[in-house]
Amino acid sequence: MAGQSDPSLSMFSAAEVEFLAEDEMVEIVPNLNMDTLNLICVNFIFFGYFLSLSQGDFGPFRPQMATSVPLWLAVALKKRGKCTIRCPQWMSVEKLTQVLEAERDSPAQFQPLPFHYVEISRLLFDNARDDIPDMYMARSLIEDIRDVRFHKFESGLEKISSSTHVVKLKNLSAMEVNIVRPFFVRALQAFAKHDSPQMIHHQQDAMSSRQAHPQDDGPRRDLRRR
Amino acid sequence: MSRYFDIDDIIMEDELSSVVFKVGANGVGLLDPSAETNRVEQGSKVELPFWLANELYLRQAVSVIVPQCFNQKTRREIQADAAYVDLRSRCPYFYELGCKVAPLIGDRTIGSFLLYAFMNRFKDVLSKAHSAAFAVAPRFLPLLTKEEMHLYEAARSSMTAFKKWRVGGSRFEKASILGKKKRSGE
Repeated sequence: MAGQSDPSLSMFSAAEVEFLAEDEMVEIVPNLNMDTLNLICVNFIFFGYFLSLSQGDFGPFRPQMATSVPLWLAVALKKRGKCTIRCPQWMSVEKLTQVLEAERDSPAQFQPLPFHYVEISRLLFDNARDDIPDMYMARSLIEDIRDVRFHKFESGLEKISSSTHVVKLKNLSAMEVNIVRPFFVRALQAFAKHDSPQMIHHQQDAMSSRQAHPQDDGPRRDLRRR
Repeated sequence: MSRYFDIDDIIMEDELSSVVFKVGANGVGLLDPSAETNRVEQGSKVELPFWLANELYLRQAVSVIVPQCFNQKTRREIQADAAYVDLRSRCPYFYELGCKVAPLIGDRTIGSFLLYAFMNRFKDVLSKAHSAAFAVAPRFLPLLTKEEMHLYEAARSSMTAFKKWRVGGSRFEKASILGKKKRSGE
């Protein structure tokens, strides 16, 4: 599945990643009376990550009774003043401070955060500013975390070399993957091209057998079609 | 052949490379500006676009000489400070030409030389592409080859797209056609 905004790049735009993030669940406290919403459930696979609205029924909504709904529904209700959104656990200032410190302390690994933390936090900061305690603090903490993580990722990229075929990155989030994807894919392709068996073959020949020059006409002819 | 429709691949084949004719050829004097008759003598050195050199090589009519951009001088410069060698002015399709020309000439160190050059220049592109302010870019961009340029652009455009999204702006984009219609109606 590729993004729709730019077919040539086979990447998602930031808005598309945000759209995917809107399926994450959040807790809300409604202030209206409404029966259960029966929505048609949609499953799909994204980055090998199985997104599903495991149940298509949300609610029932009773005043002051917390319930959990997808983010898009929460934002829609919030805009109409029908609920307050409960700030997720990981978005509290203490938790974010902890994560930031841990990110700074461990240069080799990423801290576990929700897969869509960049998008969720932005949606909440935009739409539910009065529901988040210490919003400005939390926002700048998230910015810092993202910067630290990105820097870490960048210094990791510097270590790619010709022998890199696979890179394993635990806990990288959707938006972060999305930002580096075009660059990363191209870089790996270029490395693969310059390190292809044909090129290595040449290298080994040059080192091992200079005297075998005349016999080399055969293999050389095979290579020309590249 | 997989890159048959790739415009860069086609333009790359237009790069000049020097060849030495192994046989004399009649009626192609225009290839060699110094020829007095309408004939290219055996052993004369001529500059041909790569696509022609390649075809003639396959017919054993010419032997290909190492192109200018892979000579010893460039190699030494790359070894000294890879990131600041102006490869664009030497050959905008440095890597692509290198890959294609390597099988044609006896010099077998080109493969590892290309890899070395790319590896060292890549780090510089990486560090500048994601973070550099726009003021820095013009000084450093003219040094890049096409391939590195694509790499740089890929990184920069995804980063600017993300920054634009984060700052916000209009959440709903109107299709351009809608705006036009309205204006013409007024």
